[in-house]
Amino acid sequence: MTFLDGNVGLILQGFWLTIQLLVLSGICSIVLGTLLAAARVSPVPLLRGAAVVYVSIFRNTPLLVVFIFVFIAGPRLGLNYPFLVKGVLAMTLYTSAFVAEALRSGINSVPVGQAEAARSIGLTFGQCMREVVMPQALRAVIPPMASVLIAMAKNTSVAAAFGLAEATATMRGLTNNNANERLMIFLVFALGYIVIVELMSFAANRLERRWRVA
Amino acid sequence: MVALDGVQKWFGQLHVLQDVDLHVAPGEVVVVIGPSGSGKSTLCRTINRLETIDEGVIAVDGQKLPEEGKALAGLRADVGMVFQSFNIFAHKTILENVTLGPIKVRKQSRADAEKRARELLTRVGIEAQADKYPAQLSGGQQQRVAIARALAMEPKVMLFDEPTSALDPEMIKEVLDVMVDLARGGMTMIVVTHEMGFARTAADRVVFMSDGRIVEENTPEEFFSNPSSDRARDFLGKILKH
Amino acid sequence: MRYAAVAAVAALTLAACGNAGSSETEGGADVDVADNAAEDFEAGTKMKELADAGSITIGVKFDQPGIGFKSATADAPAGFDIEMGKVLAASLGIAAEDITWKETVSDNREPFLQADEVDVVLASYSITDERREIVGQAGPYYITGQQLLVKKGSDITDVADVKGQEVCSVTGSTSLDNIRAEGATPRGFDTYSECRDQVLDGTVEAMSTDGSILLGYAAENPDELEVVGEPFSEERYGVGYNIENTEMCQWIVDTIGDAEEDGEWAKAYEATLGKGGGETPTPPEFDACAA
Repeated sequence: MTFLDGNVGLILQGFWLTIQLLVLSGICSIVLGTLLAAARVSPVPLLRGAAVVYVSIFRNTPLLVVFIFVFIAGPRLGLNYPFLVKGVLAMTLYTSAFVAEALRSGINSVPVGQAEAARSIGLTFGQCMREVVMPQALRAVIPPMASVLIAMAKNTSVAAAFGLAEATATMRGLTNNNANERLMIFLVFALGYIVIVELMSFAANRLERRWRVA
Repeated sequence: MVALDGVQKWFGQLHVLQDVDLHVAPGEVVVVIGPSGSGKSTLCRTINRLETIDEGVIAVDGQKLPEEGKALAGLRADVGMVFQSFNIFAHKTILENVTLGPIKVRKQSRADAEKRARELLTRVGIEAQADKYPAQLSGGQQQRVAIARALAMEPKVMLFDEPTSALDPEMIKEVLDVMVDLARGGMTMIVVTHEMGFARTAADRVVFMSDGRIVEENTPEEFFSNPSSDRARDFLGKILKH
Repeated sequence: MRYAAVAAVAALTLAACGNAGSSETEGGADVDVADNAAEDFEAGTKMKELADAGSITIGVKFDQPGIGFKSATADAPAGFDIEMGKVLAASLGIAAEDITWKETVSDNREPFLQADEVDVVLASYSITDERREIVGQAGPYYITGQQLLVKKGSDITDVADVKGQEVCSVTGSTSLDNIRAEGATPRGFDTYSECRDQVLDGTVEAMSTDGSILLGYAAENPDELEVVGEPFSEERYGVGYNIENTEMCQWIVDTIGDAEEDGEWAKAYEATLGKGGGETPTPPEFDACAA
């Protein structure tokens, strides 16, 4: 385990960036994904169409291609941002499509009568979604949403090849310098990812239990 | 108060509302009956535009139904609706169910809304359940919450879409009692139901529908004792025999 | 010159059978191929095995102009490492067209050697003590140092200027560690060409890796890019081999040593790294092979 000498800080830094990517992209994806899901069930045909196009583009594009678009093509089109922002942007563009689909399945699981009742007391579409449909949809989607976000946590490793020194990038640096300890290095980093993902599953389980409809 | 003129609606090939005219005066209680598939539920749902119509005009309190958006939401706030399947918000307490509309739509303060909600819950006899969730209540109790929720908006007219059809027999009475009470209080009501007892005691007028048309309109006494159309006679014969 | 002498004799005997004694190679220097080379090596050695087989697999880089680079349309890679590979193969009697070039990246060089996926690695492979614990590294056959590639006219003229700047290299490379140590923000990419594009697009201030690689990119794009500053590290390129085949070290040192003496090394340099001009350096001294 000599690779740990003087490198513990580096490893923690790597995982810290992974967590930053994960949390920021997670929040942005949930916000954008929720708007997309709302657009998909909205009464405005243009919004519905735009959401359908968005979801089919980004759900069917490999994440690597989205990263290449944001990091390589973007700057050439004059869309350049700090590296962390680009990383969060790429992750969000991709993940929000999956969030939107998970939410849409949740919205569809809310009985239509709930929305009708909400509208019949005079709530606008936005209020109806916010107050009645989304809170119930969210409960139904915690398990699929947790899967989407866990996949996203692991997907942050794609950023390693795009200038972000997160955990996987750090691992590659360490294996290159300590080729004789490859296996141990791999196990340490795998353990780090397992801890992150387990924490997420734990949180999802807690939330599911707390939010269960009485 | 409610006026339907020349209303037509199709579900694909099916002509579910055929040239329907119906005028309801303020304070009037109209009961709509008819065999299943006659279009009576659809008629009820068009009045607050949960169903759109293809032709004709519907006006509430002299105002034509808006197409979509804020204006429609404003109109719906004035038209209370009670559903066959209750549709109480499953994730909110009973009290929250009743206060949601007043707070979000009428912009009342939480305290005012809760005070009024408790009065209404008392009026429908379930004040003790205020802090429970819908799943903890019986069907009859849930339907009374739904009525309180609609009343909290101070509606100009109340629509009831088969409010007792999903209830166990022993719970039907507790809901009908609330409705009768409401009718006596002068509320304008349009009630789609199979409860002939309610029609007899509370209705000012009975509207009989069949195959998407209004076939007959009359006072309850006249309608039940002396129906003028064959179809109404046939229908009454079937439901009153057992 | 040992092998060359044997080759000359052998060539006389075999000429009648129509065997070609030398092979023309695209873009590189001519390399004389030893015939009947298998007889030169003792039984049981890796060299004997390769010479008998008449083929060799060499791990090289495909994305480093001047060192090891394969364009999308080319059949085989080109570069200084490729030329050194041909020299080694020739001493085994293996012609350039019988060499299998396998792309290796920084991450997989050791695993490829350990699994015998490749017989030798010539892939801008810096000699380090850590690597020598698990693979054999003979050399150095070329010494370079880490430098900076910037857009022409950049404020960065030396490594002292990179503090607080974003500098790219290949994810996981030693160059990236060095640049971090200099106070720059390291930006790792998968390939050198992506990193070079970041410099061209202005999303990072500089690219940093071995000067030899940077010179190749600067030569490709002389109007926009330039290499600046003195080298701030020493990278000693070695030939990697499976650590179990200890006998390969002396063979590699002798073979490349011969190429250095007879001018083949210089010719290879001028045809590849030296293309952009500049003086041809003196070949470095080899480390002694363990007995």
